[in-house]
Amino acid sequence: MMNSSASNNTMSSASASGNNAQAPGLKTYFKTPEGKYKLQYEKTHPPGLLHYAHGKTVTQATLAPLKDKPMQAPSQSSSSVGVSSGVRSAAARLLGGGNGSRALSFVGGNGGNKSINGTSTRIGSLGSSNSNNVVGNSNFDGKGTYLVFNVGDALFVSDLNSQDKDPIKSIHFSNSNPVCHAYDPDADGHDLLIGLSTGDVYSVSLRQQLQDVGKKLVGAQHYNKDGAINTRQEIDSCGNKDGSGDPSFPVIKDQTQFSISHARYSKNPVARWHICQGSINGIAFSTDGHYIATVGRDGYLRVFDYKTEQLICGGKSYYGALLCCSWSMDGKYILAGGEDDLVQVWSMEDRKIVAWGEGHNSWVSGVAFDSYWLAPNSDGVGENIVYRFGSVGQDTQLLLWDLEMDELVVPVRRAPGGSPTFSTGSQSAHWDSACPVGTLQPAPSTRDVPKLSPLVVHRVHTEPLSGLLFTQESILTVCREGHIKIWTRPCSGEKPIQSSNIDSFMSSSLKEKSLKQ
Amino acid sequence: MVDGVTLTMGVAGSKLEKALGDHFPEGERYFGLENFGNTCYCNSVLQALYFCVPFRKQLLEYYTSNKSQGEADENLLTCLAELFSQVSSQKKKTGVIAPKRFVQRVRKENEVFRGYMHQDAHEFLNFLLNQLVDILEKEPHKVTSENAVNGPSNGHVNGVAKEPLVTWVHKNFQGILTNETRCLRCETVTARDETFLDLSLDIEQNSSISSCLKNFSSTETLNAEDKFFCDKCCSLQEAQKRMKIKKPPRILVIHLKRFKFMEQLNRHKKLSYRVVFPLELKLSNTVENADSEYSLFAVVVHVGSGPNHGHYVSLVKSHNHWLFFDDENVEMVDESAIQTFFGSAQEYSSNTDHGYILFYESPDADDK
Repeated sequence: MMNSSASNNTMSSASASGNNAQAPGLKTYFKTPEGKYKLQYEKTHPPGLLHYAHGKTVTQATLAPLKDKPMQAPSQSSSSVGVSSGVRSAAARLLGGGNGSRALSFVGGNGGNKSINGTSTRIGSLGSSNSNNVVGNSNFDGKGTYLVFNVGDALFVSDLNSQDKDPIKSIHFSNSNPVCHAYDPDADGHDLLIGLSTGDVYSVSLRQQLQDVGKKLVGAQHYNKDGAINTRQEIDSCGNKDGSGDPSFPVIKDQTQFSISHARYSKNPVARWHICQGSINGIAFSTDGHYIATVGRDGYLRVFDYKTEQLICGGKSYYGALLCCSWSMDGKYILAGGEDDLVQVWSMEDRKIVAWGEGHNSWVSGVAFDSYWLAPNSDGVGENIVYRFGSVGQDTQLLLWDLEMDELVVPVRRAPGGSPTFSTGSQSAHWDSACPVGTLQPAPSTRDVPKLSPLVVHRVHTEPLSGLLFTQESILTVCREGHIKIWTRPCSGEKPIQSSNIDSFMSSSLKEKSLKQ
Repeated sequence: MVDGVTLTMGVAGSKLEKALGDHFPEGERYFGLENFGNTCYCNSVLQALYFCVPFRKQLLEYYTSNKSQGEADENLLTCLAELFSQVSSQKKKTGVIAPKRFVQRVRKENEVFRGYMHQDAHEFLNFLLNQLVDILEKEPHKVTSENAVNGPSNGHVNGVAKEPLVTWVHKNFQGILTNETRCLRCETVTARDETFLDLSLDIEQNSSISSCLKNFSSTETLNAEDKFFCDKCCSLQEAQKRMKIKKPPRILVIHLKRFKFMEQLNRHKKLSYRVVFPLELKLSNTVENADSEYSLFAVVVHVGSGPNHGHYVSLVKSHNHWLFFDDENVEMVDESAIQTFFGSAQEYSSNTDHGYILFYESPDADDK
């Protein structure tokens, strides 16, 4: 009933505000020092969906830059944004004629960022491809970047680059709800992982799902049929998870201790990492795949060396569970957010929290560095690297932050070597010397952590938010109930321009874009 | 009469025992409370107080010492102590108890609770705690003996005469707020302390308890009609005012102001706002940066869309298990079930079960 087909051709800010008419009080743009971000379009589930489970699950979104099956195995690193024209023809060949001539565009390169999670850790057994039997291309038009999101008992796939509000594909799970998913463009044939509330994990080929006309998963590999109930399970691209009850692994003796068991035979899951008591709410691999960070119910951020399976460092939130975490592209910082309403910035070098972002009025449910943002006048070298990051919360707000390490000052300076006035075992005791490998820091005192203020505070939805993604062209905000908004950057891929020109520039660039489509 | 009130063993009771199995905590009792016609406001609060372990412990001690001193006059305190003792001394581990005598006493003491109308659970808790304090303060010899044992500062057994007494109810629930007012003319800060047994917080849609606490302590400017009389300037002046917590209580009771008086409607309206509350909490609005961590152990939930009708239930944490008390019924719930009581992000929602009173306990203070 709310089909946005009318707005397909007329891409302007007017249509964007039209899309948003049902939510009064929400602005369709927000201002930053570099210009205006505008609501470009929205993605959501089909309007008819009113499943009983609706509202009981939290929508997560994953960007899936669908890559062509590499014929000559170019071993392309997923961190490289942009695809050569060679791939374009390969894509056309694979997808058949018709509208398949559209290039695979990895504009949503941040999807690559996310999917890097799996790249370097992917194990051989997952590489076996069964996607050779390509049949037709029914409703699959072959455009590059897709948006995968779960609502209720269904998983939806939308074309990120189309203005269509409705998804192009839905997959229904009758007995369980999908709760998380991950995408790895290089995991050929099994590039999409889906985790269910029952603890089951499926790996499938996204392309194969798009080519199929049915509403069920096709060609899925199934792992972890262990019946462990943990609605917040997260998966990584190996199909590892912190579950319990899998008969192929020994019983966990001490729930509070970190333990790893490996599968006796080379089958999936290959290993079980028991990390902590209570749920694990988020995991993230560092860009190079060297480290894995986890956050959970116990409020601890933990960083492991993935290969050696050693706990490297970690620390506790101010209070309450941590809900999300994300790495900077250079692997130097980790963002984490949770039930203390704070966005914490963890330094891998200092092995401690180096800043707290104060600004959310409720729990922080999504954090991410904007790896496409370029600091103004940055020469790329100096010490004073500026990072841009974003956070979304259950307060329905998107916050953007700048992190400039030189400006971070500890609120209360202490004399080196420890002044006689402080006697508690607070974090400041470790201020000068990094703590030994493998120790977890207690919650720091408010006095010991510098505070950051947000650059932008913008209420983006009427519902609590659950996710945040950055692409080269836009910021994606995801709300719990399955609505996704795409906010275009002030100027895509161009040098910053005068703010007075932004509007005209925006409209022209958008026209260009819609013409291309 | 004690044995006579134990009702038939409910199906739910045995189910709970089965669910807990070998994990049934030693010596613990999980009993539902019979409803005498809209007494769920009372039952839900009683369960929260019963599982406030330091409070229960001291109430039971009071019961024992009171009994040994012979028959005293019946009052709300003795009735509550008797009820708690009755529950804790049950042979069976689960079941249902009728808090008849206690409810009768409540109705006798306060005409507000006499009728069979729906009552406000927070009003009841407030009434009950204040009554307990009053009764204890009128028993000077008992209070001094308590103080001699527990009081770190009030060590003088004889020096109690007119001093405000610190009873064990105070020790559990009382905190001190300080109201700082800064005159904008002379910059003088006037601080006025006041005690509290619970904090009533204004709530906002899609916020957290931490954020509501922050708003509670946010700076307010007194001007225009609402100027402040500065003693130094000897006149009404514009001023800035803020409330901070000077002494955090051992048991922090937070009341969410879900029932708001709407002037245009001339009646109260229930705010179903989604207000998330963490299982662990620290207070940021304290005078001293007290980093002590509270943990949630009970939630009184209001069920229903309006203020004048509805139902109260409670969620209680006992020995690391969460239990759901709905009058006679007791069942085990998963910790993750708590998030279903946060409220609704939309105004009209089918979910009408909302966290109303939160009970947090500071583990640091749990040294007795």
